[in-house]
Amino acid sequence: MLAAAALLTAIVTTDQAALRASARDSAPPQSQLWQGEVLEVRGERLDYLQVWDHAHERGGYVKATQVKRLALAPAEAPELLAVLRFMREAPGAESLGIAIAAAWLQAAPAESVRGPEGSEVLDVLGTFAERLAQRATTGAASKQGQAALTAHLDVAGRYGVKFASYEQQGRMRVCYDGEAFRRVLALPASQPQQKAHAALALTKPECLDPALQPLQRHEVNLWRAQVLEHVDAAALPAWLQNKLALRRASVFATLAYEQARIDGGGEGQAQRAIVELARVQRGELLEEDAAAYNDAAMRVNASRWAAVARPSDAPLTARASIATERGQPGETCVLLVDAKHDAANPLARRCTYALVWTQSASLNREGNALALAVQPIDGWRELWVFRQQRGKWAIDVLPPASLQPELGYAEFAGWVPGGQQLLLAREARGEGKYRRSFEVVSLDSLVAQKQGGDANSLGQFQRWADPSWRKMSVAVR
Amino acid sequence: MLAKLKTIARAARLAVARTLRRHRGAPDPLTAEGAQQRFAQVRGAAIAIAVVGATGWVLWKHAPVQGAGPGEVGVRTNQLTGQVVQWRDGSVLVLPGVHQAQVFSLRDRVYKPLQMSSASGQAPVQSVEGLSVGVDLAVRYALDPSKVTTTARNLPPDLGAEVVEPAVQGIAYKVFARYTVREIFSTRRVEIQQALETELRGKLAADGVLLRGVQVGKVDLPADYKRGMENLLAEELETQKMQYTLELKDKRVKQVELEANAEKVQREVRAEAAAREQVIAARAQEEAMKHVLPFKERQIEQRRLEAEAEKEARLKMAEGNAQARRIEATGEADARRKLAEAEAFRMEKVGQANADQMAREGSLISKHPLLIQKTLADKLSDKVQVIIAPPGTGSSFLAANLLGGAGAQPQPEVQHAAASAEEQ
Repeated sequence: MLAAAALLTAIVTTDQAALRASARDSAPPQSQLWQGEVLEVRGERLDYLQVWDHAHERGGYVKATQVKRLALAPAEAPELLAVLRFMREAPGAESLGIAIAAAWLQAAPAESVRGPEGSEVLDVLGTFAERLAQRATTGAASKQGQAALTAHLDVAGRYGVKFASYEQQGRMRVCYDGEAFRRVLALPASQPQQKAHAALALTKPECLDPALQPLQRHEVNLWRAQVLEHVDAAALPAWLQNKLALRRASVFATLAYEQARIDGGGEGQAQRAIVELARVQRGELLEEDAAAYNDAAMRVNASRWAAVARPSDAPLTARASIATERGQPGETCVLLVDAKHDAANPLARRCTYALVWTQSASLNREGNALALAVQPIDGWRELWVFRQQRGKWAIDVLPPASLQPELGYAEFAGWVPGGQQLLLAREARGEGKYRRSFEVVSLDSLVAQKQGGDANSLGQFQRWADPSWRKMSVAVR
Repeated sequence: MLAKLKTIARAARLAVARTLRRHRGAPDPLTAEGAQQRFAQVRGAAIAIAVVGATGWVLWKHAPVQGAGPGEVGVRTNQLTGQVVQWRDGSVLVLPGVHQAQVFSLRDRVYKPLQMSSASGQAPVQSVEGLSVGVDLAVRYALDPSKVTTTARNLPPDLGAEVVEPAVQGIAYKVFARYTVREIFSTRRVEIQQALETELRGKLAADGVLLRGVQVGKVDLPADYKRGMENLLAEELETQKMQYTLELKDKRVKQVELEANAEKVQREVRAEAAAREQVIAARAQEEAMKHVLPFKERQIEQRRLEAEAEKEARLKMAEGNAQARRIEATGEADARRKLAEAEAFRMEKVGQANADQMAREGSLISKHPLLIQKTLADKLSDKVQVIIAPPGTGSSFLAANLLGGAGAQPQPEVQHAAASAEEQ
């Protein structure tokens, strides 16, 4: 990693250090050096070091106080490790931290690199890289800050730390490729906490390439699940267990949806997602994880019907029921049938490219309305409402929110006796907004007559909420 | 032999039966005549037995029967009548001087012309090039049972030497002479064998011999030719091997091509599936977006209606407010008017009072000059409480001493002065 492994190595410790033509302060600067850059020391003159910059292929003089000279010998390793431990919590000096970590890796003997110290340094290295990527994503306010950020990224790149850029919601996100974290997971000496940290960093949902095709994305999600399974959750503190459980719940919920897409399965994954979400201890949840908790809950709830077995074909009765048939490739046609109207002559028919959870169908007591869960994309579940109006059946779709489809669900929560109202639970995140509401919806107009942020604040929800909804849904949490 | 014994036993059985039959019609043996007769009978019987025994012994020793064992066929020719009888697995009566019997074996026999087997032997076959070639021939033949009857009398005792061998030699030399050594050695061996069989079969059939098959075994070539031939064959084998190698490679190329095609198809199918999945996902996303839009429109409509309702409510409220303000303004105007009137009245009254006071004060001025200054001090500032100054002299302004004007004369003394807190 380092250019020179000899005695004569120096790491620049300050930003905008000048590389001068001679050992005088008045000498014109040839170029600017940024913290973390490595130089080869070729001599000393006054309080200057004569150095050679391999990156720019240029020699010059740099002030001795602006660099840290290193021998890269095993004896230096403890000192470097102590510096790293200090710098771990020092934002803004990521490139210098990466340089120090690289110097430690060079200086330390192989046994140390394979041991607990090695995994600690790799963990710190990954932390630096991740923080630098976060800084790059956020951007710097001033021009000087932007220049420094660009230079730090460049310096990190010279040490082999790679970043990928993805466009998400009109913004570029810079993500660390996670090589150091992969090594942490592979090292047997890694502590559970380090492994958890690495697994969480490697499975960040925001760092998934948005250009991946569905099958490739499925492969990546399978890999994410495997990575998360590597971590022994029992040995972690409660707050970290929560983080791990939230990530696992999200990944398994996504896998459940994808598996259902591929072969109609996904039962195991959906159940696992629900179990993982249930493991979250609300009292130990960090404030910063509140949004992640809501996201995980929405994702799990969106595909929770995968955990319920699909009903077997039953003979048609006088009460309306749901049947499906295949349409175009990938298309499912939903039919409303009863004893008098079979699949050839259904009461209502609508085709969709979404996943139809037939096990969720619920007909009200009056038999004039039926609710069905349909999931068009991962983490976004709609509610289809079949209504009988003036003798004819109509199908209406209630989306989770009037937002760009991203994450959320609209789910049936119960029927109000009388056949005029439906209880609906909605939760969604999109366009930077988060909404969660419990609504009493009129079946005539499908307009919310009453709504509230808490299900218990609405009398209808207290009285008429469906027991199975209360039991299975994570909307009330 | 068994047949002979059977024949003898049968003859004895017949004689005893005949004797017993004769005894049933005999006289009583207790009488002398009967005894004499009985003796005569016994003597006759003894003679008869002796004759029979002698006959049996002769027949036993020189039985007039001929047998044929398994795998054999017998042919009996009646020399008097010329009648020919064929039998198998049994014996027939062969009367000396009357019958002539022959037994032939029907088993397969093999003839191997040893003189042909070596190229340097006594009589090797000749190739078309005139080279001597030794051929290890084996001719398998047997008598034709269907023709034995007709050919029996003409068949020589040594069938192999007298019939088969000349026939084989006559045909073998002729057939081999049509082919080259190379053809005999390798390429047309089967053809030669078939030609030998065909020709030999017809020839032997005429003699009642059935050809089972001809085997052409080892071919013994002349030593020099053999070496060259072997080299040639080795090269041929090499060529063939190369040919097979090329074929193998060609097949491998085809196999690789097929595998590549299969992989290509598989990849295409995978790509197609992936593309289809993507299309499905995109359509689902589009569908979800489509479902959001009406909901959004419905929400917008609802908000518009709510806004209209609010607007109406606000209009009503504004109207109410305006009305209230109008009423308030009218009231205010009235109030102000009343106030103004009151003020005017007050001012009038105050002015009147002032005028009266001024009149009164004017009358007092000439009498009490200091009173004017006090009045001025009162007017100058409401903060100045008391100013006592000497009266002016000459024609100057009466307050010039206080104001410090140009024409003001220095005052000999200031009795009392009080200034505002701000000035101090």
